[in-house]
Amino acid sequence: MTLIRFTAIAAFVIAAALAVAVEVAARREHSRIPTLASICGFVMQYRAGRMPVGRIAIYGFWWWLGWHFFAR
Amino acid sequence: MDMDPHAELTADAVNDDAPPWDRLLITLPSFAVLAMIGGLFKSYSDTANVYVLILGGIMMWLGLAEKPARRASPSRLGRGGMWWLLPAGVFLVVEVVNFALGSTYNHPTLSILLSDPLEHYSVRTLSYFAWLSAFWGLVRR
Repeated sequence: MTLIRFTAIAAFVIAAALAVAVEVAARREHSRIPTLASICGFVMQYRAGRMPVGRIAIYGFWWWLGWHFFAR
Repeated sequence: MDMDPHAELTADAVNDDAPPWDRLLITLPSFAVLAMIGGLFKSYSDTANVYVLILGGIMMWLGLAEKPARRASPSRLGRGGMWWLLPAGVFLVVEVVNFALGSTYNHPTLSILLSDPLEHYSVRTLSYFAWLSAFWGLVRR
């Protein structure tokens, strides 16, 4: 493994570790940080008229992610 | 963005008439079976495409039709939400830089990095299970 590839992988690991750290901090009692699920729930409430735009966007993104990794 | 996210929860979308199958004891084993089936299909195959499109379509339909019971969500986010920009920003920078550099062995994007592990049945099945469970979590939000 080259050093530059190792650095790229390490950067992804750091991003994942940061996400875990923020989620853990959000789950502490009286935390003012929302959990990732709360953020998703907040975004999914967004509507344009009767159209649940936020919900469609989040579902669509997750659907695409599954297709991207499992089918493409 | 100025309130405690846990302080204000809306219950407007909560569905009290959840179907009888909307229980963890039923959904999680179902996802396990679906993941074990999904793990059998190789990437780039027609079956893999059809399978993930059907599963995603069903999940999307369930979510938009408001079938399962939903958890309440915050009506406002506090400033603490800004903390999420940190991991998201790091990830985006790494992904975009690697993509711009050609998405090669030395500069892998996440999908390049995960393509080899996802060839293994166990990793693929576990990932499928995680994807389905997270999708279900979103449907219930």
